[in-house]
Amino acid sequence: MSMLIMSGAKDRLLPASLPFRFFASASVFHILFWLALLMGADDLATFNGGTGWILAAIHIATLGTFAMTAMGAAFQLLPIATRQPLAHSWPAYLTFWLFMPGTLILTYGMTTTSMLALTIGGIATSAGLLTFALLTADNLRRATSLPIVASHGWVAVISVLVLVALALLLIFDLDAGFLPNHIAAATTHMAFAAFGFMGVLAFGFSYVLIPMFALSRALPPRMGWVSLAFAAIALTLAAPALLLEITPLQVAALLCAIAAAAAYLWQMRTAFKTRMRKRLGPAFVVIRGSWGMLAISLLIGLAVLLDAPIPNGATLFGFLLLAGWLLTFLLGILQRIMPFLASMHVSTKDGRTPLLSDLTSQTPLNIHMISHATALALCAAGIVSEITPLIIAGAAIGLVGSIAFGLFAGFVIRKL
Amino acid sequence: MAEEPPGKYWREDGILHIDVRGLGPPEPMFAILFHLEKPGEVGPVIVHHLCEPVYFYPELAERGWSHKIIAGEPDEVRLILRQIP
Repeated sequence: MSMLIMSGAKDRLLPASLPFRFFASASVFHILFWLALLMGADDLATFNGGTGWILAAIHIATLGTFAMTAMGAAFQLLPIATRQPLAHSWPAYLTFWLFMPGTLILTYGMTTTSMLALTIGGIATSAGLLTFALLTADNLRRATSLPIVASHGWVAVISVLVLVALALLLIFDLDAGFLPNHIAAATTHMAFAAFGFMGVLAFGFSYVLIPMFALSRALPPRMGWVSLAFAAIALTLAAPALLLEITPLQVAALLCAIAAAAAYLWQMRTAFKTRMRKRLGPAFVVIRGSWGMLAISLLIGLAVLLDAPIPNGATLFGFLLLAGWLLTFLLGILQRIMPFLASMHVSTKDGRTPLLSDLTSQTPLNIHMISHATALALCAAGIVSEITPLIIAGAAIGLVGSIAFGLFAGFVIRKL
Repeated sequence: MAEEPPGKYWREDGILHIDVRGLGPPEPMFAILFHLEKPGEVGPVIVHHLCEPVYFYPELAERGWSHKIIAGEPDEVRLILRQIP
């Protein structure tokens, strides 16, 4: 029988510059997010749509940090999970060069209400997202393993199509005013971005990443399917519920979202129960905190829909969902995944794989963790109380934390 | 921790072989580390994998093990793992 040396996953390992350009950009946009929030602190508590610093801050976070992280992780991890390499790597580079400048131009347009910047930025960002969606769909179509992860990927891809279509309509509506209800369309756009695209992708990748980092057994897929089914029903209900402003349907959609989150958190609990690694490290403190924020934000959303007397409840819901759950979760994943991926691209002087501890700078991460938690608490308190200095203090502390996180990212990248 | 790890394993000439082909991620990593962390396992250990497990190398390095790809069957990537002295 022939004996040979095969490769495999190494073929699916992309050049370090590809995922790390997304991660580096996500770290920079993270700094810009807190800066934009600081600039718009006056408007945060009572924000209910419209251009300005808060809208820019939301998109700096969702596009600049969330989507950028998701793209870098998906391009690198999806081929491993699906056992299929990317068909070509050039569309991934194209995605970056459309998406990164597009996000800058779009968010500049949001602060200045420049239709030219909004149009150019919106088209470039949409083109970047669609290229990403096409590349992901092609990989998922050829997937031969982990159907639960691939199915989450499909829901995320469909959500990208919906959110991009709505985004372009919203931009052109600013000038032409053809939408019957701009705010309802904007809310639907946000639901598909936060829950459909980023939320479902975060759930799906968790089923591989969390067991991999915690050294757990593969998770039984049943609850994962339950979570995905509820998430899909929630999104299906959310579209007419939000567009037509039907409150009972909105409540039903949010209850399904809560059920999806509960099933997902149950899966994460299972991963922790079967884990081999006893000391999970500071990244998991951040990740666990984000899971708490996921639960709290959804419950606040439900309370707001049921007319509970929470001052500025809708804004609080949006802030905790985006900054509390998604931003915190992705920063936790980033601080774990960056040294991990870097270790595959560098070797020690004697040709060995370096230790992860040599590729991590814990002090800036500790500063970030404390600052991030403080910033979330102060901003949330500021939103409820409508005390702007609290929001200013929160955003300033968040900015300090984000700079510390940027220093960590720079430390890892310098090792490449 | 599970009593019985996923995958197949056997000893041949005193060397532990772990076959994780057919397991989806992250089961191969779990299975291999399960054996390496057993008291008294000093290696070398031979791993039969479907593809080169690049995501596994940092975990090996953290535990003081080195890896090297050796000749194997056409449908596998065969690795030999040794403790770093």
